[in-house]
Amino acid sequence: MSDAKKIVLAEDNSTLSLLLKFRLEKEGYKLLIAVDGKEAIEMIELHDPELILTDIMMPFISGLEVISHVRNKLNKQTPIIVFSAAGQEEMVLKAFNLGANDFMGKPFSPNELVIRVKRLLR
Amino acid sequence: MIHHQIATMKSYQYIIDYFENSPIIIQVVWALSCILLIAVVILTIYLKKLRSRLRKNEKTVAEYQKEYESDLITYLYAGNEEAEISAEQQVIIDKLRSCATDEFKRRVIVSTLLRLRNEISGEMADAIQKLYFQSGLIIYALKKLKSRRWYVVVKGIRELTQLRVKEVHDKMGVFVNHPKKEIRKEVQLYLVTLFHFDGLKFLDVLQTQLSEWDQIQLLEVLQRFDEQEIPDINPWLKSKNNSVVAFALKLAKIYNQFEVKDALIDLLSHQHKKIRVDTIHVLGHLQVVEAKDILKNNFDILSQDEQIEFFKLLENLCETSDESFLLAHTTNQNFEIKLSALKIIKILAGEKFKSLKYISTDDDYIKIYEFLEYN
Amino acid sequence: MNTSTVQIILTIIHLLFFIYAFFAIASYIILAIISAIETKQYMKKNSFVNYKEILSSTISPSISIIAPAYNESLNIIENVRSLLSSHYVNYDVIIVNDGSKDDSLEKLIAAYDLVKVNFLINQQIPTKPIRAGVFKSTNPAFEKLTIVDKENGGKADALNMGLNISNNQYVACIDVDCLLLENALQKMVKPFLEVTEEKVIATGGVIRIANSCIIKNGKLLDVNFPKKWIEKAQILEYLRAFLLGRMAWSRLNGLLVISGAFGLFDKKIAIEVGGYDTNTVGEDMEIIVRMRRHMEEIKEKYKVAYIPDPLCWTEAPDNYKIFISQRNRWTRGTIETLRKHRKIGFNPKYKSLGMLSYPYWLFFERLAPVIEVIGIIYFAILLALNQVRWDFAIAFIILAYLFTVLFSIVAIYSEELTYHQYKKKGTGFKLLQISVLEPFVLHPFILYAAIRGNMDYYFNKKKKWGEMTRKGMAKAQNN
Repeated sequence: MSDAKKIVLAEDNSTLSLLLKFRLEKEGYKLLIAVDGKEAIEMIELHDPELILTDIMMPFISGLEVISHVRNKLNKQTPIIVFSAAGQEEMVLKAFNLGANDFMGKPFSPNELVIRVKRLLR
Repeated sequence: MIHHQIATMKSYQYIIDYFENSPIIIQVVWALSCILLIAVVILTIYLKKLRSRLRKNEKTVAEYQKEYESDLITYLYAGNEEAEISAEQQVIIDKLRSCATDEFKRRVIVSTLLRLRNEISGEMADAIQKLYFQSGLIIYALKKLKSRRWYVVVKGIRELTQLRVKEVHDKMGVFVNHPKKEIRKEVQLYLVTLFHFDGLKFLDVLQTQLSEWDQIQLLEVLQRFDEQEIPDINPWLKSKNNSVVAFALKLAKIYNQFEVKDALIDLLSHQHKKIRVDTIHVLGHLQVVEAKDILKNNFDILSQDEQIEFFKLLENLCETSDESFLLAHTTNQNFEIKLSALKIIKILAGEKFKSLKYISTDDDYIKIYEFLEYN
Repeated sequence: MNTSTVQIILTIIHLLFFIYAFFAIASYIILAIISAIETKQYMKKNSFVNYKEILSSTISPSISIIAPAYNESLNIIENVRSLLSSHYVNYDVIIVNDGSKDDSLEKLIAAYDLVKVNFLINQQIPTKPIRAGVFKSTNPAFEKLTIVDKENGGKADALNMGLNISNNQYVACIDVDCLLLENALQKMVKPFLEVTEEKVIATGGVIRIANSCIIKNGKLLDVNFPKKWIEKAQILEYLRAFLLGRMAWSRLNGLLVISGAFGLFDKKIAIEVGGYDTNTVGEDMEIIVRMRRHMEEIKEKYKVAYIPDPLCWTEAPDNYKIFISQRNRWTRGTIETLRKHRKIGFNPKYKSLGMLSYPYWLFFERLAPVIEVIGIIYFAILLALNQVRWDFAIAFIILAYLFTVLFSIVAIYSEELTYHQYKKKGTGFKLLQISVLEPFVLHPFILYAAIRGNMDYYFNKKKKWGEMTRKGMAKAQNN
């Protein structure tokens, strides 16, 4: 039971979170949902997930800061996938510079996301 | 007791006498005061009702949202391998169909669908659209299109745009030249969202102004598609409608339309200053060297904004042949031009740059030179 | 002088008061109606705009947030973080440390990994010089941040420094402790982009009062109605002014003031008119009047727009001393601005600016407290001479009071039907309560402060900015 891989998802759109939770839990992962960057960081520190999914634009602690916190303050190499709205290439570049592993532009296909998650957690 | 009643009657009588004996203006004032007092009392009582109604609405919306959210997700994952509708899905479809008859619930259902639809693509997105059709929600959107109130029409068009309903394309024609600009804007977005670059055909005949806001929205929508098949933008660059020209310039820049450079060079003599400045910017971005010489020759008759933009162009397109021109402008009055000129000289001819250190005692010049020296 | 002449004079005086009151009340009603219509239209136009989708884009115009800071050490880290978390893409934040005597700069350097950089400033507007320098962060997550440490010169001077430094098209001039909501910039920049017939030169927003609200880490978590009468009364006052006043002026294109706490400007025009005036305490009003005047003089069609959405939350004075000092300053600012630009008053060359806005501001904002005090003195004289016609007096006073209360209630309704920010149970009652009390707990102090302001303006030139001590989301502005 406890060997299910944990994923922290930081996303403020509740419908989307619910969708992803359903989908990923079907694949056997355990999903922890945060609605903003601060909650995400708390969850990451508490649960030490195997993967992090985060939106870039979030209330008061941005996705970029989450990445920076994980890589620099917590010194973890947890794989991170970021979501971004279209046209935010600059942000995506910064995300990669800070240590993100992959990104998906919105709108994205949930199936595609699952493929990438599996790839990073192999 | 009788004393009490008599006393009350006497005070009423006193008030009435007082009122009737007062000058007219005081009567008016007291009458107004009474009206205001009644208004205050009524509004006070009603306020509580209003607030609790608003609070209840919010709670209800939140509850419904959760409910419909989980219905939606269940529907999306209850499909079976064939493209048929499973029993579980049918239950949800029927439920939503009946809930949709209530306007309040319908609004929540649609907003839930939209919230998800905007974030995802692929099979899931198509499934949401199917649900939208099957539950009959689309009927209500079509009804909105027939409304007399413009903001209802706008909401209808918007809903159909977000759910990518191509089937209603023929109904949209009537709105393209609608007098109300909000409706026109919404239709433009519909056309571009669903038909990408083909949807831009309205630019050929557009008489009204496309605001910057409209342009940005259209460009945002276009950027979401990976298509490289951008149509010929020359006719738009030659349009009599300045906002269409401005939009075409943005397209030229974003999609690197080097092939329209001739039309762009023509635009350098457009009557609208902002268009000329934007054209110089695009020409610089596209690295059109011919433009450089034309502008250099006409430099003195250019407006200051154009001159500044030209120097920015030079930063990308400078050649050694420009050196004398640049030297002449290192002491130009304008700060930004001085900065550009010196910056370019430093890149082109480092030695020459060093020799310029003391040619001017102007404060700005010295500041700029020192900054460039150490950077 | 015989009694009939005295009678005539008295009648004329009464008539003048009456006419003034009549026009004042008529103007409130007209403005309220226009505001209501305009707000309704605004809500219709914008209820379905998805700001998140649209202007989180790189094509959107560039904005610089300029926030002057003086001795803000207590909260500056959180305030800056809050400004950095806006959901706009194309913007940067310029914090101007205006000669603070505390450790603001050191704290910022530590928290944001700042280093001094070599920075070229185009001194388009003269300002006090740089002190410690210009700083930027080594951490890419804070790339948008620029800190400028300069010699003390006051808020206007600090804003001018920001104008000189900014490379962007628009500037948002903001008080550093203002809490800006995430999509504030998108909403404020929209008028600049969507108006085609005129040029929008500035946009103003609504300032909401944050007292007693729960703000954590730069995020507005909970909206509460404060406890003190003075705070509650100010909320009511702001609701009246913003929802029933400014919307109308925006529609009439007669807006003369954009709150100094948050406003968005076309940078080029702001610099063209010479930036903020460092010689006035009402620099937020003065620059708008000057920008408008400039546009009239170059004969270009323009507009000053206004957004009624709650976008910016800030602390209001919570004790009478500071409140009076603030209103004193506002009074002097108004007088200074109106005097400086008196040429435009009643001048047809300046169209509605000179023929509508200026006269209105002169009579119903600047002169109102003076006339009211004259009225009170007159009443006192009559009282002493036992000449009061009590039937008139009582009738009119009651009418005036009821009108004020009704007007406040209409403001409350506007708020409920639009943004409904005070959702908690019992707040409705508290709002009504303060509507009834406000003429007694706030208005007299406003009057007093205005008179002091007039006296200080004419007789006490040394006074400048007052002081506002900080608590919680504290602030201290000193000069």
